[in-house]
Formats: sequence, C-alpha cells, structure tokens
Amino acid sequence: MPREVLVYIFSSIHQVLRAEKVLQKADLPFDLIPVPKEVNPDCGLALEVEPDWADEVTAALAAAGLVIEVVYRRRGRDFHQLPQP
Amino acid sequence: MSGVIYCDQAATSFPKPPAVIEAVTRALTEFSASPGRSAHRMSLAASRTVFEAREAVAELFSVDDSSQIAWTLNVTQALNLALTGLLQEGDHVLTTSFEHNSVMRPLSWLARTRRVEVEVIPVPPSGQVDPAEFSRRLTGRTKLAVVNHASNVVGTICPLQEVKAALGGVPLLVDAAQSAGALCLDPIEEMADILAFTGHKALLGPTGTGGLWVRPGLTIKPLVRGGTGSRSEFEEQPEFMPDALEAGTPNTHGLAGLAAGVRYILDTGIETIRRHELELTEKFLDGLSQIKGLQLYGPSDPHLRTAVVSVNLAGWSPSDLALTLDREFDILTRAGLHCAPRAHRTLGAFPEGAVRFSFGFFNTTEEIEAVLTALDLLSRRRT
Repeated sequence: MPREVLVYIFSSIHQVLRAEKVLQKADLPFDLIPVPKEVNPDCGLALEVEPDWADEVTAALAAAGLVIEVVYRRRGRDFHQLPQP
Repeated sequence: MSGVIYCDQAATSFPKPPAVIEAVTRALTEFSASPGRSAHRMSLAASRTVFEAREAVAELFSVDDSSQIAWTLNVTQALNLALTGLLQEGDHVLTTSFEHNSVMRPLSWLARTRRVEVEVIPVPPSGQVDPAEFSRRLTGRTKLAVVNHASNVVGTICPLQEVKAALGGVPLLVDAAQSAGALCLDPIEEMADILAFTGHKALLGPTGTGGLWVRPGLTIKPLVRGGTGSRSEFEEQPEFMPDALEAGTPNTHGLAGLAAGVRYILDTGIETIRRHELELTEKFLDGLSQIKGLQLYGPSDPHLRTAVVSVNLAGWSPSDLALTLDREFDILTRAGLHCAPRAHRTLGAFPEGAVRFSFGFFNTTEEIEAVLTALDLLSRRRT
C-alpha cells in the first residue's frame, strides 16, 4: 500500500520557492515535487510533507505570512482535500 | 577591454565584479533550462536563480515582499509597463522637463492615443525639482506623477520623499535608472509607489535585466500576456504578482548575473559605494573648475548629484571631444543629447548636446586625474 503524504499547493512558483526557503531555514523536512496533475493542471511545483511534520510545517509557513492555497492528503493516486489549515 | 578609462557608467557599468561573470557562466553551463515551468532539477535550479535574484533586489531596496518585483528587460520596458498599465483615457499625469525619452516617448504616445494630459513641470538648469510644483498642479484627474531619482544628464538627485509627500496620495512612479545601486532607496515606501530600475548600470548586472517594484495594493495592467507556468488551465493572465506582469521565459542567465551584482553591492554597502563615487565626483568637479573654457552643467555641489557630469569645452563640438578622448587618450565618454532633449534645451545645450562623464565604484582617483589632464590639454588645443 502506498505511503500517505501531504501535498501543499500554492498560488505561484514564487510562493513555493519562498516556502522552500522558510522550511530550509527552519530545518524542517519536505520535498519539492511537480504539482500532481490529478488535482491541478498547473506546470508548477508543490511541497510534499510527511504527515508527522505537517503541523510544524504549516505553522512555519503561516508565521512567514505564506498563504497555502490547498492541502491534499495523498495515498498513491488518491487525493483527499483537507480543510484550510 | 583593458587599457581604457571607462567613463560611461551611466549607460552601462564596466567592469562587472568577477562574481557576476561566474554566475552567468554557471547558469549557462549548469542549468540552462526554463524556470518556473518544468519540475526537473535543472528547471528548479533556474527557478531558484530567478527567485534569489528577486530576493536580492528586494533586500537592496528594503522591500518586504519580493513578489512585488516583476522582471523586465530594462528600465525602459519597466517604465512603459507602468505608464501604459496605469494611465487611461483622459487621465492627467505630472512629470518634469528633466526626464529621459523612456518616460517622454511613452507619455507622448499616451497623449496622442489615449488623450492623456501630460503636464511637464519646468525644472531650472540645476536640475533641482521643487516639490511644491507638484502639489500646485494636482487636479481631480491626476492619476500619476513620474520623475527620475537622478538625472541621466547632470546627475541631480530628486528629493523623492518630499515629492511623494507633495502628491497627497497620487502614486509616484520613480525612474531609478541612475540611482538603483548608487543611492540608498530606503525607506522605499516613502520614496515611491512604483519604481522602475535596470540591472546593467549601477546594479552591476548584465544587459537585458531590469524590473518594476509595485507597492502592494496597486494594480498595473500587463504590457505582455502569455505563459507564466501558473494557472495554466486558464486563458487569462493571472492577477497575482509577479506573474501578473511577467509572461514568457525570463532572462535567467542575466538574472543570475544580476543577483551576483546586487549581492556584491549588499556586501560592499551602498554607503561605501556612494562615498567613493562622491569622492570621485568632488575631485572631478574641483579639477574641472581649473580648466579654461569649460562649461559645467548641473549643480557644482557634488552632494546634490550622482557621479554623472556633463560638460562642454570651448572650441570643441561634443562629438569631436568625445572622439578625441577615445582615440588619443583611451577615455570613453558619451556625447550628444543622452536621450533627454528637453533637459538639454533647459541647459542651453540643444541640439549639439554635451560630453557626459559618468563614474562608478570601479573608477579610481588616478583615472579622474588622467581625465582632467586630458581635458586640460585639449582646452589649449582647438579643433
């Protein structure tokens, strides 16, 4: 069974790269991935985060004033939209 | 090019810091891919380069949100974007008689095509703008004021904070072609609402780089529309910055160099750069006052200007003087009207113009002495 991850979608590449900078500074684990086409046809990027780190990641992004457009819980090709953090 | 005394920094700065050359070379050799489109590692490296360049410029201008900076090819494109993206049919705009054609030409076009009323505030030959002239001319239709931060002809520095205060909330568009990287732009919110800059002058970057900072809350219509890598499912341009004002693949290689140029300025300190350029200008102005038949334009107080000094020498046409300086003395200057015919009319130097010497952080006092010696020699020789 595929592992569960969270996928954070932002409004622009600029915001994704700001998020990357914020999380690197905060030393929090994440991965940059292409936006999954199942949920968004953009040619952009998204953040992939382990569920255990989600609270800390969300808090760090919010503290930096970053607006997360939407978060999905992903298992393989199954996506479930979470309520706004 | 070695062996020359480069005094044309107001056009394009030279030499560039080695880090700029290394950054451009690295971008070209290691990750020459499209930023913000694909998600593979080379595209990511390109995206990060563009992002870091934006962050570097934001740090230099003390801008909190770097997404409010949109890239353009140069300051001319940035000015065109702001002017055509803001001014509509019947609007009133204030400007001065010391503006570059990159402001005057789009304004003339807007006057002709959108019936924008362009009011040009006369500025004395010193180039010093009187902020009260702006408040006096405000009308209910005044949509914008546009001024340069420093004149590209005589270097006169505009008191931006006073001009902005005099506008009572009407947005101020600043042409920072000559000041970005040379003068302090902090606090930017008190100096401008929109700021157009170029990368290839005092920011020490390559040509083909520039941008527009837009105060949050102000909306400008784009000059070009197209691919941004975002909101690809829609056929309308995104409305968020910077994508709203950027379309098409940007100059990633140039922006890599620009980021390195701006980092060089941040590491050196803008105050250190200003102090050095002030020293050079002071020495140059002192020396010029000893040369017979030399006509100096603009303020004689170096503190009122950037390191841009235009002159004429009795008995010489500007073009002959510049040519002789180049051919015989390896001194590179710019002769003519410097794309600012109205400023030259005010100075009484129209239509022949003047010879412009412009210095930068890498010019030395020895070079200033060599230029003064050459001018002194030529003042005794008539064509």
